[in-house]
Amino acid sequence: MVDTTGLSLDQAPPIHLPLRLLLTAPWFAAAAGVVLMSVGEPALVSRWTPTALALTHLITVGFLGQAMCGALLQMLPVIAGAPVPGVRPVAALVHLALAAGAGFLAAGFLGSGGWALALGAAASVLGFGVFLAAVGVALVRARGAPATLGSLRLAGVALIPTLVLGASLVSALLGWVSLPAFATWVDLHLAWGLFGWVGLLIVGVGYQVVPMFHVTPAYPRALTRFLAPLLFAVLVAASVAALAGPGAWAEVAKGLAQGGAALGLSAFALVTLRLQRQRSRRRRDATLPHWWSAMGSLVAAAGAWGLGAPDSLIGVLLLVGVGIGLPSGMLFKIVPFLCWFHLQQRQIATGRFDVRVPHMHGFLPERLTRWQWWLHLGALVTLVAAVAEPRLTLPGGGLLLVASLLLAGLLGNAALRYRHTRALLGQPAMDLAVPEVGQ
Amino acid sequence: MSDTISAALSDDHRRCDRLLALVEQAADGGDWTSVGAEAASFHEAMERHFRYEEEVLFPALEARAPMATGPTGVMRMEHTQMRHMLTDLAAAVAGHAADDCLGVLETLHLITQQHNAKEEGILYPMADRALAGEAAGLLAGFTPAP
Repeated sequence: MVDTTGLSLDQAPPIHLPLRLLLTAPWFAAAAGVVLMSVGEPALVSRWTPTALALTHLITVGFLGQAMCGALLQMLPVIAGAPVPGVRPVAALVHLALAAGAGFLAAGFLGSGGWALALGAAASVLGFGVFLAAVGVALVRARGAPATLGSLRLAGVALIPTLVLGASLVSALLGWVSLPAFATWVDLHLAWGLFGWVGLLIVGVGYQVVPMFHVTPAYPRALTRFLAPLLFAVLVAASVAALAGPGAWAEVAKGLAQGGAALGLSAFALVTLRLQRQRSRRRRDATLPHWWSAMGSLVAAAGAWGLGAPDSLIGVLLLVGVGIGLPSGMLFKIVPFLCWFHLQQRQIATGRFDVRVPHMHGFLPERLTRWQWWLHLGALVTLVAAVAEPRLTLPGGGLLLVASLLLAGLLGNAALRYRHTRALLGQPAMDLAVPEVGQ
Repeated sequence: MSDTISAALSDDHRRCDRLLALVEQAADGGDWTSVGAEAASFHEAMERHFRYEEEVLFPALEARAPMATGPTGVMRMEHTQMRHMLTDLAAAVAGHAADDCLGVLETLHLITQQHNAKEEGILYPMADRALAGEAAGLLAGFTPAP
């Protein structure tokens, strides 16, 4: 018997669930801008400053966490015919827990006290944990798109050590447990989180959307078959080396994780850029420049690592260049498409063909999305320069704030436009219980 | 000529993608004579693909595998959805409305990709299995997009 559930049009979750995550994400990038501006020159001096740790978690838990979880809740049912069980309570809880997690972790690092750190860690672990449990079920059931699903499954597995290590580190900071070789554990937490969870997710999603968005050739099979397992294996090897004990082994672990990630992810970035140069859709839309700056940042970060550049430079390239940039570009496609798709379904249900459903650019004006990219690029370049010239931290933070506010405004406006058109379409008689977009 | 249903029709999807890209590029350049010509050939290729599926492939598949009726019904509905978008495109081209043209093309592109993924991932492999003996005969009546 052939399973045909993947063909159902009803696989996508109600729009308000992914939207509440996707619309909240930019506010955490804006918060990172505010922190950079208020702390100013000392912010990027080292990756170990409390400010740097607060910024990192605002971006990874707040922005990336919300954007990635929101996009996956939407994408998995559609690309793999795998609905996420309990998607309504899961999305609501993940949204609140990640928001609280990012907020309290940042507050804790910035000096609000141990209770904030503990609360932030607990909320983040709860949010990601619930997300992983629900999405894990969908990922196990999913079929088709083997390269993408393989990467996404490994990304999901990589989230587990990230959370365990993160919770252990906070427990150690609070004096609840003792953790010798603290820095090694931080490096592992960072490696599993950034290269495992985020990196593998970007790779897996890229396999799917790069050829689809811009009509490029497919990724080479050698890459799609081996890259994700190799990256994962490198992280496992690095962890084993770290567990073998402090000293020389820890250095081996660090070198292995960072070197493997640098090579593997920059190979992915270079192949992506080459495929995009061969694209059939020659037109430069609003998403493409975000891919270029993000993949460029990835290669630059790997190069900077190879040359022994300061950690804070690599951090800016990875967190702002890739971590904020790439999801921003993806949101420019995902949010207007979702708005259009759901309205179109509603139109069929209500039979109100006299109402005009706007096309995607009607939800998100392309001209403004281009401006958003220029502001993002400005923020990225200024913050990279601020690593060498700390006086640039303030303008860099300001640009990040403005770029993030514009992103939030554009997405919010798309949701309002959605709501307006949906009101015009009216409710079908049988479907009055579907909640409004409450963002 | 591709010898399986999957290969022939998936290749045709790629050709239609490239035709859409040509309309987009022309609309970006603002030469409306060329936009009109590209849009017409894109529209024709899409319609020919839809009609082959609806009139030849789907009925053959439904006759051989009755359980395919659900999926083919969904595919027909999505064809209608895309035909509406093609009508919107024609209106935008006739009105020389570049922004609408590009917005409709972007939307149509994404909905087409989603539709194609379902056909290539599930429906065509199903057809390859159910219609293995008849593929050559069925494909003889198929004219691919330029």
